[in-house]
Amino acid sequence: MQPIRRLLVLCVLFPAAALALDGKALLEKVDRNLEPENYEMTRKLINEEPDGKRKEFILYSVKKGRDKVAALFLQPASDKGRSTLRQGDNMWLYIPNVGKPVRITSLQSVTGGVFNNADILRVDYTEEYEVTAASEEGDSILLDLKAKTGNVAYDRLKMTVDKKLVLPTRIEAYAASGLLVKTLYFKDVKDFGGGIRRPATVETDSPLYKGYKSVMLYAAVKKREVPDEVFTLNFMSRLEELRK
Amino acid sequence: MRRGAPGRGLGGALAALATLAMAALPSAARAAEYSFDLAEVEAKPYEISGFVEGKAEHFQLRPDASLYPLNFPGQPPRQTLDRGTASIELAGKLKHDMLTGYARVSGSAAHDAYSTDSSARLLEGGLRISPAEGLSFDLGKQVQRWGKGYAWSPVAFFERPKDANDPQNSLEGFVMASADWVHSRAGPLAAVGFTPLLLPVSDDVNRDYGATGHANVGAKVYLLYEDTDIDLLWAAKGSRPQRIGFDFSRNFGTQIELHGEWARSIGATRRVLGADGAVVSEVQNLDSWLLGARYLTENEITWITELYRNGAGYDEAQLATFYRLLDQAFSMGGGAQAQALAQSLAQSGYGRVNPGQRYAYLRVSAKDPFDWLYFTPAITVIANLGDRSWQVTPELLYTGWRNVELRARAVLLQGDPLTEYGAKAVERRLELRLRLYF
Repeated sequence: MQPIRRLLVLCVLFPAAALALDGKALLEKVDRNLEPENYEMTRKLINEEPDGKRKEFILYSVKKGRDKVAALFLQPASDKGRSTLRQGDNMWLYIPNVGKPVRITSLQSVTGGVFNNADILRVDYTEEYEVTAASEEGDSILLDLKAKTGNVAYDRLKMTVDKKLVLPTRIEAYAASGLLVKTLYFKDVKDFGGGIRRPATVETDSPLYKGYKSVMLYAAVKKREVPDEVFTLNFMSRLEELRK
Repeated sequence: MRRGAPGRGLGGALAALATLAMAALPSAARAAEYSFDLAEVEAKPYEISGFVEGKAEHFQLRPDASLYPLNFPGQPPRQTLDRGTASIELAGKLKHDMLTGYARVSGSAAHDAYSTDSSARLLEGGLRISPAEGLSFDLGKQVQRWGKGYAWSPVAFFERPKDANDPQNSLEGFVMASADWVHSRAGPLAAVGFTPLLLPVSDDVNRDYGATGHANVGAKVYLLYEDTDIDLLWAAKGSRPQRIGFDFSRNFGTQIELHGEWARSIGATRRVLGADGAVVSEVQNLDSWLLGARYLTENEITWITELYRNGAGYDEAQLATFYRLLDQAFSMGGGAQAQALAQSLAQSGYGRVNPGQRYAYLRVSAKDPFDWLYFTPAITVIANLGDRSWQVTPELLYTGWRNVELRARAVLLQGDPLTEYGAKAVERRLELRLRLYF
């Protein structure tokens, strides 16, 4: 009993030490602070070129559990009605003219720009990554994450977490070769109501796309639980029916 | 130094304010820079969308090719032909509770030296009842896109054949009644779906599907098993022979997808022209299959490749025999009887877009290569492996303007005169297409 009591006292006195001891619990907290397990949201994606020219997309998304996400393109008109679905490592794209879902991979990008499909249809970090190291640095905690399988888009993540808010402020994504693929910046923490307080802006840049930037603006993030059948190929053409 | 700053009086205060303003400026600018008004995408009970399209084509023709008289019947031979086409496609939806009415219509007008044509078609149109997320019923003209193939789909039992040159083009549906049930579950079998349908064929409805006087029944069972999409498909004997089939699709890692299809047409009749000029109707089971892969490289080059075995197709010698018949029938001494036979054979299978038995397909496309933002160059090769004729289509797509798609492509055909791509009436086609979405 004595060593456990000592550990508990240490945890109370030094909460960061406790977090460092349980990186997995911290990552789970980051997941839940970013989004409820079941939600609906509307996002704008902006791809910006070095000369300032932009391409914008608006997506309506629903998520259920740790690994089911579906998204519907609302704008621009050329992409309207397209939908994407993710169930774990499986991803599909439905194009109204084509009329049937086709499989896509996490490294592709349905919108172009720096965000790929894994970023747009993001599932819980704990679903895809294991915490290999956690350390404290000033007001932040640094988490080193390693992909659980080879099917995950990025092999390693270096996540900087705001110690007070338990929300990520920066994530560096690396390929298996050690190459830095992109950096995500989480900004403008906003209260969305219903106990959801999270960054309203996520920006990304990449050494592979010098001068280019992609931005996600979040709006109307709400808790909502939809039936499991929403996350099937059969429902992809009917995703619009969920919008109220 | 910090402590001393306020002591600088008004100048110091102004400097501090300026510093604060400068610090605040980027975030204020950003807030103004990136705006998002949800009212832009408010859900409405109705929806209208579509596109208008302008297309200019230049054809390099082969007046001596076997298929020329079938493509341009009764027309004087030409070496070139220019065609302009204007099209519109409109899609609309009206929702009320669990009811959704939908329609997709297209209209086009084309002009070339031979003719001026216009047409309007209802591609889809009907009523859907959706009592639950996992259940819906549809009645009306529908497009059922079965299969996993990109260029071809042997298991597409209830749809019009797609064009391997442009597989993403809209297709016209058939009038039918269908239901769609799906159930999602935990475990290795993550989803089960069932899609039964009924497609009647009479003198007034779906006449181009097959023999009239039949209510054609079919069904598809969908399984997501161990991360693999699997469909089991069936079409009962009716206007067409009974058919069974399956397809699958699966991702391997983050870059590779594999897919395949197999279909058997049971007791199908196939008309074959013999070397002696006699036509034999063969009744047999015809097996078709397709195996394909999609591979995305790290520098965003997408490779799509497919191998296709067309069970109802004709081998090299059979196609050559047919093209010889065409040459004779439409030559100076050709008779009306031979021409009628040639036309009848063309309608029964020899005249399909891809009438051969074995094909290979390869498409390589690169997204924004060499920093050409919004440009997607691609090259597509379709080859008849039996007679070694082929076509290659280099293409350039630009999507840099909002809701505008500009595509330029050249279609180049190559083959000996009595081969599939050597017998076609067009040797080269240059196309420029502009689409405006709304």
